[in-house]
Amino acid sequence: MTVTRTAEHQQLDRLLLQSGRSDQQAFAELYRRTSSKLMGVCLRMLRDRGAAEEVLQEIYITVWHRAASFDAAKASAMTWLTTMSRNKAIDRLRQHREELLDNPLTLDEMVDDQPSPGANAENSQEYRRLESCLDALEPRQRRSVREAFFSGATYNELAARCDVPLGTMKSWIRRSLMQLRTCLDS
Amino acid sequence: MNTPIDDNNHNLRYAEYVLGVLDADARAEVAHEMLASDEVATAVALWQSRLLPLTESIEDVAPAPYVWARIHDALKLDAPASTPARATPRPRLWDNLALWHWLGLGASAVAVALLLVVALPRHANVTAPSATSVAYMASTIKQDNGATGWTATMDLQHGRMIVVPAAPQALAQGKAPELWLIPAGQKPIAVGMISREQPTTLALAPALLKQLGATAALAVSVEPPGGSPTGQPTGPVIAKGAIGAAPDVQGNKVAMNGDGHVERTRA
Repeated sequence: MTVTRTAEHQQLDRLLLQSGRSDQQAFAELYRRTSSKLMGVCLRMLRDRGAAEEVLQEIYITVWHRAASFDAAKASAMTWLTTMSRNKAIDRLRQHREELLDNPLTLDEMVDDQPSPGANAENSQEYRRLESCLDALEPRQRRSVREAFFSGATYNELAARCDVPLGTMKSWIRRSLMQLRTCLDS
Repeated sequence: MNTPIDDNNHNLRYAEYVLGVLDADARAEVAHEMLASDEVATAVALWQSRLLPLTESIEDVAPAPYVWARIHDALKLDAPASTPARATPRPRLWDNLALWHWLGLGASAVAVALLLVVALPRHANVTAPSATSVAYMASTIKQDNGATGWTATMDLQHGRMIVVPAAPQALAQGKAPELWLIPAGQKPIAVGMISREQPTTLALAPALLKQLGATAALAVSVEPPGGSPTGQPTGPVIAKGAIGAAPDVQGNKVAMNGDGHVERTRA
C-alpha cells in the first residue's frame, strides 16, 4: 500500500525525529502543529474535555520520551502520533469500563453515521478510498464499524448499543473488516 | 473469546485491535505479540494504514493552553512555556484552574468571576477593545439548604463551560453529580458529569449553546458514575441555578460594562 506523504507530513516527520534528539524547540513546534488534531481524536472517544486534556498531556509526555524510537521508514509521524493517541484514549476508556458497564449507552446516543464529507480536496486519497469502501458495506454494518472506530467501544458495548446479540455484532464487524481489506487492497 | 485458528482469523484480531473493539485483556495480548514478533507488528501497521485515514474526518479541537504548560512543567523543558501558543492568545484567565478553584470558594463567586473575566481582557488588551465581543454567562447553582454547590461560567465564543465546586453536599458511595441544562418548558439536556472536588471543563455542543439563555436553568442530579442511563435525570435534583446575562445583541454592551453585568447576575 503506497502512502503519499505531503510536505506537511514530511515536516512533521522531521520535527518528531528532532524531538527524539531532545530538540525542545522542535517538540514545541510539533505540539503546536498536532495537538488540535490529537485533541479532536481523544475528545471524540472520551466525550469529556477534561479527560481528553489529561490524556493529551500523557500523550505528549510519552512522545517526548519515546520519540527516539520513531522510525520514519515504518510510519509517518502523524500515523505514529494518532496511533498512540487512540491507544491511550482506549486504555482510559477500558479503565473506566466497570462504571460504564452498568449504564450502557442507548442506541439513540450513538454517534450519527455521518455521511462522508464527499470529495473534499483537503482529504487524502487514502481517506477518500476508505470512505468509498465503507460506502459499499451494508448500512448497519458500516454504522457499527464507524461507531467502533470513533468511540473505541468494545464488542459488548457495541452490541448493547445496537441492541443485537454479541455474536451478531462480532460477525457484522468481522465481515466488514474482511470486506474492507479486500476493497482497499484491490 | 475468539481463538484464532488460521491466518485469516489472526489477521482479523489485529484489525479488531486497530479498530478498538477488543477488551483490555485481548488488547494487552496483541500489544505483547507485537513486541515479540515483527510479523505481527507489520500486520498491525498494515491495518493502521488501512483504517487510520478515518481520523481525517474528526474535527480539530484546540486544547486549553494549560495543557502545554503542564507538559512543559512535567518534562522540565527549558524552552519558554508559551512557545506553542503562537496560534492562540497567551494563556488567559479562563484557563487558570487555580483561580477558578479559588473563586469557587467565595460566596459571590460568580460576581467576582464575571468582573474579572469581563473586565480584565479590556485592560490587558487596550489596542483591540471590542474586537472580541465577550459573551460569557454564569450561574450560581444552589442547593436546597441555600448553600452554593457549584458555580458555572459559560464561554460562548469557545463553546465551553467551567463548573467549579463551592460547597457541594456529600453523595452516597457510587454516585456522582451530573449537570443538566433545562431550557424553559423543556426536558433537561445532559451537559456532562461534574466533580465535587475540582473544577470541570465541559465542551458545549452547538445544539446546547443554542439553548443557553436567561430563561434556561442549570440543575445537578445524583446519578451513577457513568451518567444517567436514560438520558434524563434518574436521581434526585440536589442543586439548581438560573443563568445570568443573555448572549443577545446587547451582549457586547453588557460585557463591556462590568458593573451592569454583575448586578444582573446578582438579581
